[in-house]
Amino acid sequence: MKIKNIILGLTFIVGFVSCESLDVEPQGFYSDKNFYKTIEDAEASMLYAYDGLTSVSYAPVTYYITELSSDNCIVKPDEGADAQAFVNWEVNSQNALLSQYYRSIYIAINRANAVIENVEGKGFNPEDEKRLLGEALFLRAFNHFNAVRAFGLAPLQKSLIDKLNETTAFLPENMEEAYAFLIEDLTRAIDYLQVNRVTGRVDKVAAQALLAKVYLFAASAKESGVPKYDTILESADGLYAKAAEYAGYVLNSQGEYSHDLDLQNIYNVNEPNGPEHIFILSFDRSGTQEGDYSKLSKYFTPWLGGATVYLKNVDDTFSPTHDGWSVFQTTDDLYTSYESTDKRRNELLVSEIFDESGATIGTTADGFIPYAFTRKYIDPLFEGDKTSTRPYLIRYSDIQLVYAEATANNEGLIQYNQIRNRAGVSELADLGGLSKADFRELVIDERQRELAYEGDRLWDLRRKNIVQQEVIQAAGLSPEVVAFYPIPQREIDLNPNIN
Amino acid sequence: MKKTISKHFFLVVAVLFCSLGLSAQITINGQVTDDAGIGIPSVTVVEKGTVNGIVSDFDGNFQITVKNKNSIIEVSYIGFEKVVMEVGNKTTFNIILKEDIEALDEVVVVGYGSVKKSDLTGSVSSVKMEDIPLKPSNSIDGLLQGQVAGVQVVSPSDNPGAASVIRIRGGSSLRGGNDPLVVVDGFPIGYAGDLKQISPQDIASMEVLKDASASAIYGSRGANGVIMITTKKGAKHTTEVTVSQQNTFSRFNSELNLWRDPVLMAELSNESRVNGGFVPVYIGAEDANGIYYPSTGELKNGAWPYNTRWDDVVFRDPVSNNTNLAIRSQTDKTQFSLSTTYYTNQGVYIDDDYNKLNVNLNIAHKIFDDKVTVGANIIYSKGNRNNNGNLAYWRNPIFPIYEDNNSANDYYLIGAQDYSHPIALTDKRTNKNEFKDFIGSAFVDIQLLPALKLKTQLNYKTGHSVTDYYNPKVYTEDGTFNNGSGGINNWDNDEVVSETFLTFDKTFNEKHKFNAMGGVSYQYNETRASDLKAYDFLNESLGNGNLAAGNPEKQSVSNSLSETVMYSGLGRLNYVYDDKYLATFTVRADGSSKFGSNNQWAYFPSGALGWKLHNEEFIRNLEVFDEFKLRASFGISGNQGISPYLINSRYGQDQYYVNGNWQTTIGPGYVVGQDSQSGKKTWGGIPNPDLKWETTRQFNIGGDFAFFNRRLKVTLDYYNKYTNDLLRERLLSPSSSYDRMWVNDGEIENQGVEVTIDSRIFDKEKWGLNATLLFSKNKNKVVSLGDELASGLNTDALTGMKYEFSGSQVEAFRSIPNILAVGQPINVFYGYKVDGIIQSEAEGLAAGLEGNLAQPGEFKYMDLDENGVINEDDRTIIGNPNPDFIASLNLSANYKNFDMSLFFNGSFGQDIFNTKSFGEPSTMPLRWTQDNATNNYPSLRDGRTVYMSDWYIEKGSFVRLQNFSLGYNLGAEGIAGVKKARIFINGTNLFTITDFKGYDPELGSDGIYWGGYPKLRNWTLGVEFTF
Repeated sequence: MKIKNIILGLTFIVGFVSCESLDVEPQGFYSDKNFYKTIEDAEASMLYAYDGLTSVSYAPVTYYITELSSDNCIVKPDEGADAQAFVNWEVNSQNALLSQYYRSIYIAINRANAVIENVEGKGFNPEDEKRLLGEALFLRAFNHFNAVRAFGLAPLQKSLIDKLNETTAFLPENMEEAYAFLIEDLTRAIDYLQVNRVTGRVDKVAAQALLAKVYLFAASAKESGVPKYDTILESADGLYAKAAEYAGYVLNSQGEYSHDLDLQNIYNVNEPNGPEHIFILSFDRSGTQEGDYSKLSKYFTPWLGGATVYLKNVDDTFSPTHDGWSVFQTTDDLYTSYESTDKRRNELLVSEIFDESGATIGTTADGFIPYAFTRKYIDPLFEGDKTSTRPYLIRYSDIQLVYAEATANNEGLIQYNQIRNRAGVSELADLGGLSKADFRELVIDERQRELAYEGDRLWDLRRKNIVQQEVIQAAGLSPEVVAFYPIPQREIDLNPNIN
Repeated sequence: MKKTISKHFFLVVAVLFCSLGLSAQITINGQVTDDAGIGIPSVTVVEKGTVNGIVSDFDGNFQITVKNKNSIIEVSYIGFEKVVMEVGNKTTFNIILKEDIEALDEVVVVGYGSVKKSDLTGSVSSVKMEDIPLKPSNSIDGLLQGQVAGVQVVSPSDNPGAASVIRIRGGSSLRGGNDPLVVVDGFPIGYAGDLKQISPQDIASMEVLKDASASAIYGSRGANGVIMITTKKGAKHTTEVTVSQQNTFSRFNSELNLWRDPVLMAELSNESRVNGGFVPVYIGAEDANGIYYPSTGELKNGAWPYNTRWDDVVFRDPVSNNTNLAIRSQTDKTQFSLSTTYYTNQGVYIDDDYNKLNVNLNIAHKIFDDKVTVGANIIYSKGNRNNNGNLAYWRNPIFPIYEDNNSANDYYLIGAQDYSHPIALTDKRTNKNEFKDFIGSAFVDIQLLPALKLKTQLNYKTGHSVTDYYNPKVYTEDGTFNNGSGGINNWDNDEVVSETFLTFDKTFNEKHKFNAMGGVSYQYNETRASDLKAYDFLNESLGNGNLAAGNPEKQSVSNSLSETVMYSGLGRLNYVYDDKYLATFTVRADGSSKFGSNNQWAYFPSGALGWKLHNEEFIRNLEVFDEFKLRASFGISGNQGISPYLINSRYGQDQYYVNGNWQTTIGPGYVVGQDSQSGKKTWGGIPNPDLKWETTRQFNIGGDFAFFNRRLKVTLDYYNKYTNDLLRERLLSPSSSYDRMWVNDGEIENQGVEVTIDSRIFDKEKWGLNATLLFSKNKNKVVSLGDELASGLNTDALTGMKYEFSGSQVEAFRSIPNILAVGQPINVFYGYKVDGIIQSEAEGLAAGLEGNLAQPGEFKYMDLDENGVINEDDRTIIGNPNPDFIASLNLSANYKNFDMSLFFNGSFGQDIFNTKSFGEPSTMPLRWTQDNATNNYPSLRDGRTVYMSDWYIEKGSFVRLQNFSLGYNLGAEGIAGVKKARIFINGTNLFTITDFKGYDPELGSDGIYWGGYPKLRNWTLGVEFTF
């Protein structure tokens, strides 16, 4: 009987004592239970947020949206219908490229929010905390700015999403709310960050530069009567002044970044830490998958027979490159916008290719090269399809032109002329006879030539409300249609808070 | 207690009398007959209390010499009531044995106990291995085929070690798995499919728990049914040594459909290329890759000498071997069984080999006056697999094997990127696997009180597998791109199950029979895997033997570890009133670490009622039924086929290039797959704290009937299985940054009828004939696929039906053939309808087709929505891969020492998507041409866009002679020391009656036929000796 009692007792002990341990610790992967314990964790998480920008669904897709829809590029004829839709201004809510872009924006935002939530007030060294917070706030604003420029009123994700009931975000009430959020994040980022250049990451200067661009977008959009921008409370002039103020900090209050006088050097893939690169995305050809390495060269370069071809450099040396897929093809509009002496046409657009010995293989004139293609994304050390070519996210010259446009005064004229001077085209002697609006139009034209293929043209056309005027395929469309792409259908289907 | 004492007393008295030798020995003789007067052979006649005994001859006659007239003789035979009598003064006995209903009443193993078959209330089928013909089979799956109504066993592959697919009462899950749980001697070792650890020779019986009343005791793992396996134990009071040897010889059951005439092949290829607007290949020139293809003229006049039969190079007639040695013994206190099986299996491809060794030991010993039984079961198995399958038997016959006939190693390659040379791959590539498995359990069984028993069993299982692979720099794609690639893959699994339960068994007032069981269970499972890879090898001679020799910068490692824990409480009450009315209630509670924090405990109750009408006076008076039992049950069981950790947030990992270095990046969101359309990554990792098991409610009503002295037995069952909370992935709004999340959403219904008819048609003195017919009909229906938007369902343009594609894309058709559609069976085919072949362009244009597709010789797709254009809106459901019913017939006969059995298996009414309906050597010559304006086949045209259509759907019904066996039992008298000897010949897959045009209609549940090569027909020769 004793034995029986003991066994009975044991049975129940074995059975019921340990019931509380149904929680199994996750093994072999990271989760909220075992991560964000150290500064190294936070650092890795910060880089995960940057890494979001390198996604195949994000970095290359940017150019479908910004270059194809503008007057800069058309797409190769046998590219899919979703790509053709950008050229033809027939993008609808089902467009897969647009959906990828939208989704990629929010993936990057969630990663930034993860840093913000797990670093702020978690007891890290204050210096590290500020630096990481600043970078994360910058990235949250950078991605939201993409969303606002592409989709207008798009959800603002202010916190990390890790529950089902957090997956149905509301739209901001109006542009005032959206911009206030962008401005707040960037203001805090500027406050938290120091000037500290690391290729592929951002510092205080990048935050100032981005804030200047945000203000400029709002200023010009409000001024040009872009739909929905009338809700922004601040006056256009006030916004221009703010843009000028922050662009001014970039130009005058730091010594790390500067105007690069050597045009080809700006786009030297081996000099990602050149003077111009306030924010450049990081890729390296030693990566194992696309997203670690880049194939941007393949998108912009035409198919040239499959073999290695050589491009002639300014110093008469030659740089080899693979050929490409002819996806983004230069329009005549863009090509003819350059004066014949413009170095940006003569040194950065390729109209003649050579073999290893320097003999000409073909030219655009003889039709061997189907279109003059950009050499902004050329990697002479390419390995197969793998290159280190990087998107230029914020360039010093961009901010010079932001300043010129925002001030539209003699200070601005100096910056404007510096850009033209480097390109080997005539300077504008003075602003005599030009209204502010006239000068700003000149700056917009200059931006097209200077920032061609860099993913900015559509935004300029939109904020100046001149899409229909500049892009033949958009002629006659309503201001709302050209100002914003539709929110992707899956978002509308699955998010009851958006309709 | 009274009974035993009197029995013992009697014995003692008997022995006393014997030892005193009160009188002289007497020889008695007699005949044992059944109540029909027919003599019963092999009846045991024993003088009680002695070892003196004999068996009756074929006519039931016996003669035995006993000590004296006070001797007691016992006459016994399985299935009959034992007769015990004192010899007295008689010397001749005519003994009539009555069939023993109770003894016929076999004991059936159910979860955590056993039940007399006649007291069953649930739907449980029992298969005794001694009752079924010995089939050469690598694993238990094959043994179950055709034995149990409602169980479908499909073996789509002949590959060595390949698993069969077992479905009990249809599939009730889309993503959570449909394999039944397998329990071996009380140890739930996992889900059916790959049970290589258990050797078929070691199995004594299998019970299949089909309805919820039976399977709910396994709770969240019971929804797909449960297979209970009992291994062989020592037989009473003997020591038996069994040796058996089987050799199996296999060969394709039909000719391969390959090109034998290169001229015809070349002509048709050229025709197809020209029709497609391409330069033909066989023109006596190099193609774009620089490979010379002879012209049809060169092939015709013999200037091109080669015509290689690649199938002869690649395939062989495989031989397999199975050797088993077993020793089994049982004394009053101890039983043990030791069995060793060595099995080798050749694949049909050269060097595609498999072998394994199984050792199975079980011991039980009684202590403390037989009140405590302790025991252990140990199974160890170890095996090797050399993977050399999928060699290119389809290779172009115009190319030779070697560069200059027969200098080995100088393989003839078709261009620089030829990765399919079968001999080169066989010689140079490594892909082999070694596995070791150990299953051990120890138990203590304590009779606490006469009516109360405690059993505790501790089970442990570990499995380990290592795969070695190396792809050389030439001959393989991966090796060429990486300049040699190799690796080692390790997999390791541990499982502990500890279970303790009490059983109370008592009859009150002779009418109230109670059997109650209650217990607890704990289960822990851990799986680890690691993969070590290296690339870019300087020297290939070591293969993957020295991975460090690869380029150090290109090495890659990955590993994983996952754990699950489950606690359970369980109970059952059986109640029988007056041997007429039966009731069973069970309940199980499962708490699993896989379940979300909001749903950590699941409860699975069931109840069943039975009524033995044959024990009612009014039925007995009819004198028709030997058994007449009605059963009804209802219960809830579950399916927890969820990957662990879906309830946790899961972070992703990548790298970012900073300061000249790659740095690891980690954060929320990880890659869960690829989008089927864009090929881009899809993101998951958001936890679902509500995630839980799938729930299946099953209602079962059935009856068991026996007539004509139990020579005809019929079992009928109807069931309705309704599964909800299906595990599925839902879509999330893209602004959440996640694409998918696992949820419980969706419903499926299965209902069906099962009939088993078992009859001893003839049961004569020297010969007998038994027949068993099984019939199972299952109808399933997708009731719901969850929220239309969250599931991202498509809408059928014609009917508005909601559906989603299921499975993966078939390249040649650029579409996914199967869909899950609300209101339809699982996996119906979806595509266009074809109304013959277009004979003129006008006909094509009128049909709504345009361009190339409107030309003569093209498929005439039908414009179902009659809008004048053929597009995706014209698709509809074009077939159903689920059979209307399956049936099987087992015939077994014996004559004197011969026994024979035939087993037919059939599946009826299913459709097959035959991807090889056109484009094979047998059908290409039948193409449409201007001169052969057929309506049966299209023209040959390279580059044709082919749509998934009903033109490719065929009827898949078949009847197959699955098994034939003929055995001969040598009389025990023949050889000294040999108790039993048997030789047999067995054939499987002997012939198939079907309209299906491909090699074989037995396919996986998606019903897609991929071509390949024929099935094997196997002949096995075997001998078995028992000492």
